Amino acid sequence: MEKRGNMHPPGKQNNGGKRSRRHLGTVLIYLSGCCIALVTAYPVFYAAAFGLKGMEEARTSPSYALPREIDWGNYLYIIKESSFPRYFVNSMIITGTVVILVLILASMAAFALAKMQLRGKHRIQMYFLMGLMIPIQVCLLPLYQAFAGLHLTNSYFGVILPQAAFGIPLSMYLFLNFFRFFPDDILEACVIDGAGICRLFVGIVLPMSRNIILTLAMMRAVYSWNDFLFPYTFTRSRDLQTITLGLRDFVGAYGYTDWGRTFAAVTITIVPMIAVYFFLGKYMVSGMADGSVKG
Amino acid sequence: MSSVLKNRKAAILFLMPALALYTAIVFVPILCSVYYSFFQWNGLSGMTFIGMDNYVELFTRDKVVWPVLLQTIVYTILQILFQVGGGLLLALLLTLLVKKRAVFQTIYYIPVVISSVAVCQIFDKLFSVTPTGLINHLLSFFSEGLGMTEWLTTPGLSLVVTAFAEGYKTMGVYMVTFFAALLSVPYDLSEAAKMDGAGWLKTVFHVKLPYIRPILVANMVLVLNNALRSFDFSFMLTAGGPGTSSELLASYMYKKAFGSMQYGYGSAVAVLIVGICLILASFCMRQFDK
Repeated sequence: MEKRGNMHPPGKQNNGGKRSRRHLGTVLIYLSGCCIALVTAYPVFYAAAFGLKGMEEARTSPSYALPREIDWGNYLYIIKESSFPRYFVNSMIITGTVVILVLILASMAAFALAKMQLRGKHRIQMYFLMGLMIPIQVCLLPLYQAFAGLHLTNSYFGVILPQAAFGIPLSMYLFLNFFRFFPDDILEACVIDGAGICRLFVGIVLPMSRNIILTLAMMRAVYSWNDFLFPYTFTRSRDLQTITLGLRDFVGAYGYTDWGRTFAAVTITIVPMIAVYFFLGKYMVSGMADGSVKG
Repeated sequence: MSSVLKNRKAAILFLMPALALYTAIVFVPILCSVYYSFFQWNGLSGMTFIGMDNYVELFTRDKVVWPVLLQTIVYTILQILFQVGGGLLLALLLTLLVKKRAVFQTIYYIPVVISSVAVCQIFDKLFSVTPTGLINHLLSFFSEGLGMTEWLTTPGLSLVVTAFAEGYKTMGVYMVTFFAALLSVPYDLSEAAKMDGAGWLKTVFHVKLPYIRPILVANMVLVLNNALRSFDFSFMLTAGGPGTSSELLASYMYKKAFGSMQYGYGSAVAVLIVGICLILASFCMRQFDK
């Protein structure tokens, strides 16, 4: 690249002015940064604060006002009397199973495609990646018919199987990218030491893939916990609903919505996700970044 | 490669579970949908074979589906603006926020981990007119008229608000990707630009953006794909309303199939969606290979 001879571009001779202009710039940048942080964090705060409003206040005072008196009634109701603890358990069961299922299936398939011998590997990869482009709704009706026949429409499996199946393409893609860079010599060395394929995979490959496993586990967990469509379509009875569905419990059929309880519920739904995110978020974020830039 | 890894039986064994589940849940239903689309069926009584009638009705007599398609396209363009554009802007902002960057990044990512149901309920309140929501309250400081904007019940505007809601929730994902990409721009490139006298803005436009062009394109394809299939927000925030002005293809299909019990017709709409997605996908693939 050609360097121009002029090392001091015109207009920037005054060093003092440059420094104060830089200060102003930095202040503006941090100000906008904080404004945006406010915009992204506000809804959580809004929901939490609204949940603290008593029934009267929720109906009369403007929605954006802070509660005049803190009323824990909504939160207590959600925790003690409503069906929410049940929903919580359901969500935990479904999310846990989906995450484990996806991790096992996707990692095994990706390992086979990345490191093992198979004919038509490229075509199989394309076949899986196609799943990233299929609208979920296309499969809903036939699945509903099939599950109805198998009596699965009101069961955990009715939600677990579709969530897991649709999670496979993306997880496999990320595992594939990761396994491609996995050093072959380590695998060779272990085989020479007499390891069979199982010991190789479970004892060596998986422990070394801890980062990507954590990343994918988090991504799948968030997706499954927050998912609406599959639980909505495949559960009927109250005691199988997930916590995300339960958020609509207090939305009245005739237009009257108990917003106080709704937002207390919203907050209780959001809090586990945010807690998990705060503690493990850096894995999720860095894993995604790695997977996308490398791939 | 060692003999252990060459074991084809083991490879097939490893591949089978994922392949089986995926084929059963994703692939076979698509074929079934295509099959159903040639029938008239309300899900309860028998199926009547009507050939291409569903498609004929779809392309000639259905007055709703073509505006819905147009709305979906508009929605998709808005999503690209919000998610890719917004994500890129946030990523650029993050590169400038040197101190406490991790804190900012964490906070910006929060909407991604909130469920769409929760986002819809919160936005419903924030954008409401009667009682006055926060947005209208803030706007009323500028002008009385603005403070009465009916965000969710004005045709056209409701689509934009829905798009904004979905963009707001998903922006963080692309912010992360773009940020990682921006960080990977080689230092000497931007240094050289600075030596040549380029300010920050010029460096971004002429050095960094061209460098991350592949990521830019990839993200646009991803957003395009996801927006065409978008369901949650239009279904929950506006229920497609007012009328059908914020209806999207996916929610329209759902309402036809599960709402109106027109299983055959709903399947035809579903096939239409898949067709559009596949055409677009192959178009983008071809761009990639160039």
